[in-house]
Amino acid sequence: MEPDVSIETSCMIRIAVLPIGTVPPTLLRDYHSMLLRHHRIPLSAISSFYTEHQKSPFTQQPWDTGSLRFKFVLGGAPPSPWEDFQSNRKILAVIGICHCPSSPDLDSVIEQFNFACKGYSSALVKRCFAFSPSDSHLENGAKKGENLLLFPPADLQMQEFHLQTMMQDIAASLLMEFEKWVLKAESAGTLLKTPLDSQASLNSEEVIKAKKRRLARAQKTIGDYCLLAGSPVDANAHYSTALELARLTSDFFWYAGALEGSVCALLVDRIGQKDPVLEEEVRYRYNSVILHYRKSFIHDNAQRVSPLSFELEATLKLARYLCRRELAKDVVELLTSAADGAKSLIDASDRLILYVEIARLFGTLGYQRKAAFFSRQVAQLYLQQEKRSAAICALQVLAMTTKAYRVQSRASISKHSLSGETGSSYADGGKRHHQSVVSLFESQWSTLQMVVLREILLSAVRAGDPLAAWSAAARLLRSYYPLITPAGQNGLASALTNSAERLPSGTRCADPALPFVRLYSFPMLPSQMDIIKRNPGRDDWWVGSAPSGPFIYTPYSKVDPNDSSKQELIWIVGEPVQVLVELANPCGFDLRVDSIYLSTHSENFDAFPVIVDLPPNSSKVITLSGIPTSVGVVTIPGCTVHCFGVVTEHLFRDVDNLLLGAAQGLVLSDPFRCCGSAKLKNVSIPDISVVPPLPLLLSHVVGGDGAIILYEGEIRDVWISVSNAGTVPVEQAHISLSGKNQDSVISIAYEALKSALPLKPGAEVTVPVTLKAWQLGLVDHETASTKSASGSTGRHLKDGSSPSLLIHYSGPLMSSGDQSVLPPGRRLVVPLQINVLQGLSFVKARLLSMEIPANVGENLSTPVSVDSTEGIIGSENKMEKLMKIDPFRGSWGLRFLELELFNPTDVVFEISVSVRLENSNKDGLSSDQDATEYGYPKTRIDRDYSARVLIPLEHFKLPILDGSFFVKDLKSDGSTGGRNSSFSEKNTKAELDASIKNLISRIKVRWQSGRNSSGELNIKDAIQAALQTSVMDVLLPDPLTFGFRLVRKDSEKAKKLGLPKDSVLAHDMTPMETIVRNNTMEVIKISLSVTCRDVAGENCIEGSKGTVLWSGVLDEIAMEVLPLQESRHCFSLYFLVPGEYTLVAAAVIDDANNILRARAKTDSPDEPIFCRGPPFHVRVTGTV
Amino acid sequence: MIACVAVVGHQNNPLYIQSFTEADDALKLHHIVHCSLDVVDERVNNPKKSGPTLNETFLGLLYPTENYKVYGYLTNTKVKFIIVTTHLDVRDADFFRRFHAAYVDAVSNPFHVPGKKITSTTFAERVSTIVKSFGLSSAG
Repeated sequence: MEPDVSIETSCMIRIAVLPIGTVPPTLLRDYHSMLLRHHRIPLSAISSFYTEHQKSPFTQQPWDTGSLRFKFVLGGAPPSPWEDFQSNRKILAVIGICHCPSSPDLDSVIEQFNFACKGYSSALVKRCFAFSPSDSHLENGAKKGENLLLFPPADLQMQEFHLQTMMQDIAASLLMEFEKWVLKAESAGTLLKTPLDSQASLNSEEVIKAKKRRLARAQKTIGDYCLLAGSPVDANAHYSTALELARLTSDFFWYAGALEGSVCALLVDRIGQKDPVLEEEVRYRYNSVILHYRKSFIHDNAQRVSPLSFELEATLKLARYLCRRELAKDVVELLTSAADGAKSLIDASDRLILYVEIARLFGTLGYQRKAAFFSRQVAQLYLQQEKRSAAICALQVLAMTTKAYRVQSRASISKHSLSGETGSSYADGGKRHHQSVVSLFESQWSTLQMVVLREILLSAVRAGDPLAAWSAAARLLRSYYPLITPAGQNGLASALTNSAERLPSGTRCADPALPFVRLYSFPMLPSQMDIIKRNPGRDDWWVGSAPSGPFIYTPYSKVDPNDSSKQELIWIVGEPVQVLVELANPCGFDLRVDSIYLSTHSENFDAFPVIVDLPPNSSKVITLSGIPTSVGVVTIPGCTVHCFGVVTEHLFRDVDNLLLGAAQGLVLSDPFRCCGSAKLKNVSIPDISVVPPLPLLLSHVVGGDGAIILYEGEIRDVWISVSNAGTVPVEQAHISLSGKNQDSVISIAYEALKSALPLKPGAEVTVPVTLKAWQLGLVDHETASTKSASGSTGRHLKDGSSPSLLIHYSGPLMSSGDQSVLPPGRRLVVPLQINVLQGLSFVKARLLSMEIPANVGENLSTPVSVDSTEGIIGSENKMEKLMKIDPFRGSWGLRFLELELFNPTDVVFEISVSVRLENSNKDGLSSDQDATEYGYPKTRIDRDYSARVLIPLEHFKLPILDGSFFVKDLKSDGSTGGRNSSFSEKNTKAELDASIKNLISRIKVRWQSGRNSSGELNIKDAIQAALQTSVMDVLLPDPLTFGFRLVRKDSEKAKKLGLPKDSVLAHDMTPMETIVRNNTMEVIKISLSVTCRDVAGENCIEGSKGTVLWSGVLDEIAMEVLPLQESRHCFSLYFLVPGEYTLVAAAVIDDANNILRARAKTDSPDEPIFCRGPPFHVRVTGTV
Repeated sequence: MIACVAVVGHQNNPLYIQSFTEADDALKLHHIVHCSLDVVDERVNNPKKSGPTLNETFLGLLYPTENYKVYGYLTNTKVKFIIVTTHLDVRDADFFRRFHAAYVDAVSNPFHVPGKKITSTTFAERVSTIVKSFGLSSAG
């Protein structure tokens, strides 16, 4: 059998093309292709070379339309045993091709050519073409025999022209030879035999039969020559005769041959026509051909030769003739029967050719799977031969089947489609995605696919093509690992390694093997390196560019419709970046990845390789890093992996598709999930743009980056050192605060940073920050109060409670005028890790008060001119500082706020109290005293002890009891008074609270612990709670102030006695006066009474045992005291017994108004309001 | 008898292949089923305009090969049913209709993922029952 047969094959003149001497293969191919262009020489073109020696037997030769057809057989072919049967099988001409520069000796060329021609006895014309001869060749070439033709060196076009001429000459020569042969055959006849004819001696009957047959065979052969000579009509005539004769002699084989020839003649005659009638005719005749070939099957020599190959060839010829989609069914039938016949073929190479032809015909029919199936059969036949060349053929044939079985190497895909695919923009990524998923569907014929890949691997190993073997093993392992036993996986792994050993190091392969690589995530920049887009319109450029608030996504933020789906990533030239990828090794062997790094097709990225070891059935997330080198866009399609000795590129997209397929059940298994890795959302590759270098600030807290440990209320300075680690100076910087407890940062030295600008690369600046630790309990209290849930007690604060410093900074603006592209700024987040420890804990607070009666003296108390309290305290009395006189009561009063504090810590605290003196006098009478601070001795509290701190309070009495506390009350009811008491009370309360706050704010309790810690105790709430109950007593003066004074007129007596000026003598009339001061703004009517008591507390004025005589009125003295004025009432006492006496004044207020009622805390208007002054001591010195 | 039955999805992905021969020729039958898709594809792409075949799901004999005949059936969701028989003519679509019904029941399972291979044992049993009964009826 022969490859590439068609019905027209019968009319082709076979010419052997032989390289003579050494001809480089590429040149030989070129010369051959030049020859191929002349496969058809029109008869009209050769007439000039043709000379009619005798009368031509080709009477009907179509000189105008006909042509000779050549079939060039490169390298020649051995003579076929069937030459006599089909003349077109003969090699009728030999063309030698010689490349002069490589074989300079023309004599030896001729010799070699002649020797080569000996093998082709059937050749009628022999020519040797010598190309590119030198001048010397040309000189002596002419005399070498006529067979050697020198092609003068010329350009290609010229050479073509020469060659055309030569071919026409050859055609003419051949035509003349054919004529000769036919004339000879017609006259003498020839003996034509085929291997089919019996070799045994013939008996007489058969001899006669053979003679008759000979005639038929001769006619058939002449017909063949007519066909070759391009004269179909002549051929047809001879074939008709041959058919007639052959039928008579029942020489079916030759009958079929003649019939075949006649069909060819018919087609050549009607060249170019394709009408259904012709087609029907051809089909009918060829079916008959096939039938007769089958008939000619003779049993006795079936072992040796068989006409089967001719039957199959005829089938293929018909199939090729019919091979169109419309007739697919007929063609398939023909090809199926041909394939069935293959089993009976004796010669393996025949079967090979048959399968090749069947595969090709199926391929042209569009039956790719069938074609692939037969291609595999071909490959199997090749593999049965134990030759390397056969293995290479098998490999090539199998490579063609991979498309149908969807196991192509990516290298072959990339040639066709990938270039277009990468060209398409990212925008239609979804579409392409779908496309590749579709291809996953057909990749489910795993049984078939694995067989094909295994065969490719086998043939590649045999053919000695390590790269193909590697690729096949890689595809097999990567796609079908779940179906391969661990032993098989190991075998493939060793096949990969073995193949790689034969490859030069650094070989690249398009097909990735293991591991599976998928994108895990693009880690965001650490908060120290955040990049903030500049808001060009504003001075504070960072505002609005970064998401603010607790939500990562806010529906209110402006959404750009273009890049809503794509996240953007900014990388900076020269700053290392990291990408996390996940590797999986689902196979049962240890996998060592010699290096893996990000593969970028853009040139502006340096990737750093990493070595990874993956144990069996494991996955691992690794960090791949690199440095962007120049401004632009970076795309990361995948990773470049050096594993099993070969460099491959693993695309993320492929694995994504695979995982998608796995999710839909199209792919055998998800390599990551079977390694125990969690399901991961599809990570989209963001658009990465690289921007020019930016400054980079790094910060650390001076003295260690650890947590700053503070006790509650502690105030401390910390120094934050900020240095520029980038290559660009910082030109703008701004510090702001964020996070919780922002008020704990008391001050930031903005100026320190501002003055250091521009901060050059490598420069450093230290920014002092003053911190005050917040109150642990306070936060709890606040949260509890805001949530109105009192349950949360002592909740420990988490780290999130510390504030952070945000430093927004940026480099210089671009010097160029291009304002549209602002280099982004950055943000440095300096978290202040403040750890607040519990400090002194407050136990309770209460108000203590005590009174010490004053002595009645001449200028005692003078309470009316009360304003100069300090005068009394400071200059005259020289009392101890803690003792303050109550100017309104006229007695010595002490009021303390007592705080009980507990020290639960393990350090010692020292408490110091200071009060800033600021009179609440609106008049500012004692303005010079305003800023005075009173310090008190320090109190020391040891660990686990509690201590009390006393805070004196008496300075805070208001001078007048007036409407200032009851403003609303007075205003609302004016003179009429008392309608809305509840409302007025509320207002009263608010006013009081305000003044209490004012009071409290002036008290500061500072503490110190050790050398470094100091702070302030926040006890406002405690004080407020303590004061709330007795606020009126503390703050408000009594409406009336009582006082006593000696009215001394006879001071001479006392002087004589050498007594102090203001002493009282017994047995002496002592004039005194009671002073009543009205502290309100209204006139008060009172009835005053004065009593005197002795040491025992007995009333010594009244009763039978009274020891004091008196003159004047002491009881029920009706008085009217004008607002802020004082009234006096004079009386005299006569003490009978020396000793200690106490004078007390009391008054009942008539017609009390609302203020007084409120002060007295009475509600009922009928209740009398009773005022009682403080007791006054009188020391009566006795006289003898 | 029936050598092999197969269900092939609309993307030419095999959903179910079961052979009913004693010999170990699963691969061969896979190949036959795979190759038959060429013919089905062709019929799908070049539907004959003639009336009777217009809405016909039964594709008839797809192609004969060696010892087998391959018959096809195409649902309107482009799911193909293919049977490979040994010298046995399938004259009508009755077998395929029962096969189709079994398939519809199998994919109606809410736990079945469309496009995934059919792993239901019920389906397998039902198919083998259909195949056996077919063998009996045509033999008798």
